Amino acid sequence: MAKLIQILQTYSGMLLESLGQTMLLTLLSLIFAFVIGLIFGLMNVSKNKVLNFIGTLYVDAVRGVPLIVLAYFIYFGIPAGIKAAGVTNFRLTALQAGTIALSMNAGAYMAEIFRAGIQSVDKGQMEAARSLGLSYGKAMQKVVLPQAIRTMVPSIINQFIISLKDTSILSVIGFPELTKAGNIIAGNTFAVLQVWAIVAVMYMIVITILSKIAKRVERRLNVGKER
Amino acid sequence: MVKSDKVKVHVKNLQKSFGKLEVLKSISADVTEGEVVVLIGPSGSGKSTFLRCLNRLEDITGGEVVVDGVDIADKKCDINKVRENIGMVFQHFNLFPHMTVLENIMLAPVELKKMTKEEAMEKGLMLLRRVGLEDKAKVYPPQLSGGQKQRVAIARALAMNPDIMLFDEPTSALDPEMVGEVLSVMKQLAADGMTMIIVTHEIGFAREVADRIIFMDGGYIVEQGKPGEILSNPKEPRTIDFLNKVL
Repeated sequence: MAKLIQILQTYSGMLLESLGQTMLLTLLSLIFAFVIGLIFGLMNVSKNKVLNFIGTLYVDAVRGVPLIVLAYFIYFGIPAGIKAAGVTNFRLTALQAGTIALSMNAGAYMAEIFRAGIQSVDKGQMEAARSLGLSYGKAMQKVVLPQAIRTMVPSIINQFIISLKDTSILSVIGFPELTKAGNIIAGNTFAVLQVWAIVAVMYMIVITILSKIAKRVERRLNVGKER
Repeated sequence: MVKSDKVKVHVKNLQKSFGKLEVLKSISADVTEGEVVVLIGPSGSGKSTFLRCLNRLEDITGGEVVVDGVDIADKKCDINKVRENIGMVFQHFNLFPHMTVLENIMLAPVELKKMTKEEAMEKGLMLLRRVGLEDKAKVYPPQLSGGQKQRVAIARALAMNPDIMLFDEPTSALDPEMVGEVLSVMKQLAADGMTMIIVTHEIGFAREVADRIIFMDGGYIVEQGKPGEILSNPKEPRTIDFLNKVL
């Protein structure tokens, strides 16, 4: 117990800072993943076979690669490839590489969330909008997507939580997030039990708070809704 | 009511297949300005599909569908422009649940830059008055009854000032006591000279309002004529058989 308090006193700054980095990485990635998911999700529901193919290819390719491999590939592989191509001073920071990897990964899942959300909206909505003379894009933007996103909120929050936990994987490329901090502190103090307990509880607190907020948002969205 | 001979909708040899299933085999018909045409027929006869081909909600497999001089079977035509002139009312209303009643009506005129927000709002309130729902402007569709929803849907379709209105079984999803309020709005519309094409099972309504009844079966037009002729004095055996079942 004394050890635990001592660690908290000595390393609280580092732990909180690394938690901040974890949150930063998660938020950045989720914003990009939302855009990626929207684009590929729209491709996947489109009637155009080429767009369909591209969308499916992206989702399958990214889902088929473990995040840790994707992170290694982007952080080490791509700069090495660019160097081999003759550009010498290209480098990615751990934050850049981590954000790209996590955005691509979460983006693939978001694309599926968007696809399912759009498909959950009754076909008659698109038909009614089109019959008024609205283009496909306008009908999607004004009528279908606002309804789709409502149903997607629980899945998006779930993805947020998954991505937040996935940031721990990016400790392997040296990004100073919470798990990386845990590693360093455990190495310095040898108090592995206490350190990993602290790290676990920190993740748990943040995720629990997020889930609670999520529940509240979900309830608010459902007020006065028939379906 | 003055009827002109101006052809609003000209359909020639229209065919429509879903994969291998031929739903419309060969349909030819003209609808003139101000005419009220009612399509009747057994389910699966292709009447809804026919209606949906008239604003190309269904892709057209073959033939011609000329609306106000534009052949919409031609893939290169600007279908969105044509649709602005064709209002459509659906069996299941298809109101936008995330918008208020007034927003539902204002959406198309504002988005398509046909009216300013103020004009669209004025027009929307005028239309709501016309269908007797002015007090529901700020309400969301899930709070309305079926009959009210359908009247809003009619108002929404009228917001773009269409000169043709398509009705796809507008009363089939309604409780019996709400059918009347929707039909009376439609009657008013017909009396105002709107060109209307209506798929319905309300034979009484057809008798009263239609200028012409078209009986369809198996992807063909079997028989057509004035309501009196078709309903009281049908000639084709399939028409007789159908009317015996529904009347």
